[in-house]
Order: sequence, then structure tokens, then C-alpha cells
Amino acid sequence: MSPASTPHELLPYLDEPPQLPVGSFGKDAHLRLRFEPRGERSILAVMERRAPLLVQKALYCDEGMPGLPVVFIITNSGGVLQGDRYTMDFAVAAGACGHVTTQAATKIHEMDANHAVQTQEITLEDGAYLEYLPEPVIPFARSRFLTRTRVRIAPTATLLYAETLMGGRKYYRDGELFRFDLFSSTVAGERPDGSSLFVEKFVIEPDRSPVPRPGVMGDFDVFGNVLLLTPPAVADAVAERAASAWNREEGWAAGVGRLPNGAGLVYKIIARETSVVRAKIRDFWSIVRPEVVGLPVPPEYPWR
Amino acid sequence: MATIAELMRVLQFGDSLLPIGAFSFSNGLETAVQLGVVRDVGTLRAFVRSAVDQAATSDGLAVLAAHRAAAAGDADGVDRADRAVFDRKLNEEMRTMTVRMGRKLAEMAGRVLGRSAAADWLGRIKAGATPGCLPVGQALVFADLGLSERDAFAVHQYGVATMMVNASLRLMKVHYLDAQAILFEVNELAGAAYDRAAGLGLGDMAAFAPEFDVLASLHVRAHVRMFMN
Repeated sequence: MSPASTPHELLPYLDEPPQLPVGSFGKDAHLRLRFEPRGERSILAVMERRAPLLVQKALYCDEGMPGLPVVFIITNSGGVLQGDRYTMDFAVAAGACGHVTTQAATKIHEMDANHAVQTQEITLEDGAYLEYLPEPVIPFARSRFLTRTRVRIAPTATLLYAETLMGGRKYYRDGELFRFDLFSSTVAGERPDGSSLFVEKFVIEPDRSPVPRPGVMGDFDVFGNVLLLTPPAVADAVAERAASAWNREEGWAAGVGRLPNGAGLVYKIIARETSVVRAKIRDFWSIVRPEVVGLPVPPEYPWR
Repeated sequence: MATIAELMRVLQFGDSLLPIGAFSFSNGLETAVQLGVVRDVGTLRAFVRSAVDQAATSDGLAVLAAHRAAAAGDADGVDRADRAVFDRKLNEEMRTMTVRMGRKLAEMAGRVLGRSAAADWLGRIKAGATPGCLPVGQALVFADLGLSERDAFAVHQYGVATMMVNASLRLMKVHYLDAQAILFEVNELAGAAYDRAAGLGLGDMAAFAPEFDVLASLHVRAHVRMFMN
């Protein structure tokens, strides 16, 4: 990242770490995946990888959608560290489908120098369908993390993208909630011709702007943010059925909103526990897939 | 030091009773009260404060960008700021609020100011060339009147706070003097917010308010409601 393009929120965190230099070998993970149609199913046609992010092969393990290549992103570094610069590039060819997830929660470790950045490019061609449902992100105390994602999507394609942000290691010691220095996330959606659909940027700096207050996170500790970029007919059908409520007893609240420029839906869930957010995302996903491809989401694997 | 004419222009166009429809909106407060998220003076104060903080780091940056573009005669820059606001409103009622009030302000400016950047902008809104979001309209009116970007930023922040405080008097049991005290208190924050915002651009526009977002989306589905958001 050149200094000119450095977002202002990173400016306090540009010092060079005493360990491995910023973005050096082992800290510059790169992943490029491309799904393409082959007969009855889709395949992982391109896979480029550079540690610490790894992918082994696509698995056809989804019993509800046997032609869906499922890719688990794994890491051999145990988490995101200061000076890490990750890039990911996922593409789905016209008419193809794919599912990308992570093996475990993404741990963003404590930092005392510099920061970590993740850049994602997601491209969906005509009629493509991608489920990108990574496990939660856990930012440890004093971590500084910036993620930016650009989605280029054809009007007939569908992307289901869910992120789960935990406040931290909630039950570690006296509780580590929203004790990180910085969590910055930007997702920008656009059409293949470059016209903008929407931008969502949130910057959380708990020391500057308290998180547990009304309007921000209130009493909740976990945030699920789901984007469904899809044609209007699918968006209408899903919006009707998505669970929208403020449930004080069960400790969650959720609501669905319509993105600008007919881009689709945004579904937000806030809860006290991760398991609730996870269940709500799965419920939402279980509404989406049948609407888009006419196939069900199977019950969750017992070991996940 | 502002002249009397300048001061009175700020008062007129910063007035919470300016007929651009602020009274129809609660900026999420209606649902917050119904669900008990806001239930007393303390939670009202915190909720309004959260809202003005978010406004300062999101729409507030568009006010500054649009004011600077207008001062430079850069209509494309104005429309870029307008698009930036619209594309970041991920909830349909929040979009409705900002474009409805923005257009009303532009119509008023066309009548009151005559030939102006705001009137030109209204032409582009009517042609469907730009969405017409309120923060941009405020910036244009203030640029047209020769008022500073600080004044425009202040009036924008004031508008967010007064909309919610005025709505609170109709939504919950709160003494009107307590409401004014809350308004006074949150207004004290705007100076530091401007100092921070002044060095930032459209790409820096950001907010983090999941409770607001969920409340806004629940309001869309509510059957009984007094306000449009």
C-alpha cells in the first residue's frame, strides 16, 4: 500500500515491527480462486496460493448442493500478525457456483507495532453464484486491522457474503471486549462497467468512540453483517422471510435493509453470543439458496 | 466575526423549523423508544450523541467535500459527494429521508436565492442525474450565501440533533427543558468533530452503528408509526 493511499485511520500505526518486515515472505499471503462450470457441476479451475493462506482442493461435501465446490481456507500462521498484508481474489465464471469458508475463526493477534491489512477482490460474472461465509473474526486487545473488499457483480449474479465480528476474546481473563485499537472494514459493490452500487465503511476505534452505548452496540457483543447481492426478485422473496426482530430474552436483534441502486439486501444481526449470530446467518442462508438455485442448505455438520 | 446578515442567514437555514420536512422524521428514535432502547433522559442523551457522532464521520464529510466543490465551481465534485452519501445509505428509509429533505431544501433555495449552485443542483436532481441528498444541499446553500464550511458542518450536526430531540418530545415522557439541555450538551461536541473532519475526504466517510441500522430496518416493517423513519 503506497503512503498516498493509506487510510487516515492507519496513520498512527505505520511503525516498522522489530520482527519480520512488513509484508515480507510469510506475511504476504495471496490467494486466487476461480470457479468455472464443468458439465453438471462447477470446479475450482484456478488456485494460486502463497502462505500463510492455503487451500488444498475443492470438496463436494454439500449434500444439499452436490455440484457445489466447497473451499476451506486454512492458515499455517495461527492468525493475523502485525505487518501482515493479505490479498484474496475470488472469481466465479458465468453460470458457475462456489462456496468459500475458513477452517476456523480468524484471530487477529495483539500488536505493538504497525498493523495488518486484508484486501479482497470478488468478481461474479453473469448468473454466477458464490457463498462466502467465513468463520468469525476475533480481534484481540490492541490489534489494528483494516480489511477492504471490492465486489464486481453482474446484475444476474448472486453473492451471499457474511462476516461475523466478535468484540474480542469475551471470556478471556476479565473479558476482552472491544479492547482493540482499530478495526476498519470497507465493502464496495459495483457493476462490471464500474458503476457504483453501494459502499459500506465502518471504522471502530473503541478508545475514541465507545462501542457499548445505545445506537452502536448497546448491550451486544457480536455483530453479523450479511450482504446479499442479487436480482430484485430474489431480494424481495428473501426480505419477506428473513427473521427481523428485537428479541431481548434471547439476546439478539436483526433486521433486513434494501441496498441502494437495486443491489440487493443487507442483513444485520447483533447478539450477545456468537452462536446466535451463527444460527441467524445459517437461517438466512437457508432462505437464500433455495431462492437462487432451488436447492436446500443441509443441516449443519456436527463437527462444525 | 460574522456580519449580522451572515448570522441571520445561518439562523434561517439552520432553523429546525425550516420547512424541509424534518418534523416527519425521527432518525430511528421512534423504534428505539418503542423497543425500550431509549427509555429515559440518560438513554436519550446517549442515543442522540451516538447519532451526531456517526453523522460527523459520515455525512459531515460530504458536507465539507460538497462545500469545497461548490466554492471551486466544480459541479461534478458536488455530484460525487451526493452519490457518496446516497450509496452509503444502506436502509431505504434513511435514503428517503435524505433525498426528500435535500430536494425540498433545493426547491426552497431556488425560490429564495434565485440563480445559485443549489438551484443548478435542483435541475440535475430533476433530470435524475444526481440523487439530491440533504448534506449536499446544505453545503450548496451555505456556499451560495458565502457562509463557511464550518457553518455548514455545524448546521448539519445541529439538524441531526434537533430532529431527534424534537421527535423525543412527541415520542416519550421527557421534559422539554431536559430536551434542550441534551441539545446544548451534544452541540458542544461539534467543534472537535469539525476539527477532525476537516482533514478527511469522501473515501473516509464511515460509521459504525449496528443498533441504529437494525432499528431503522425494523421501523420499515412497523405497522403503527408516527414518523417516516
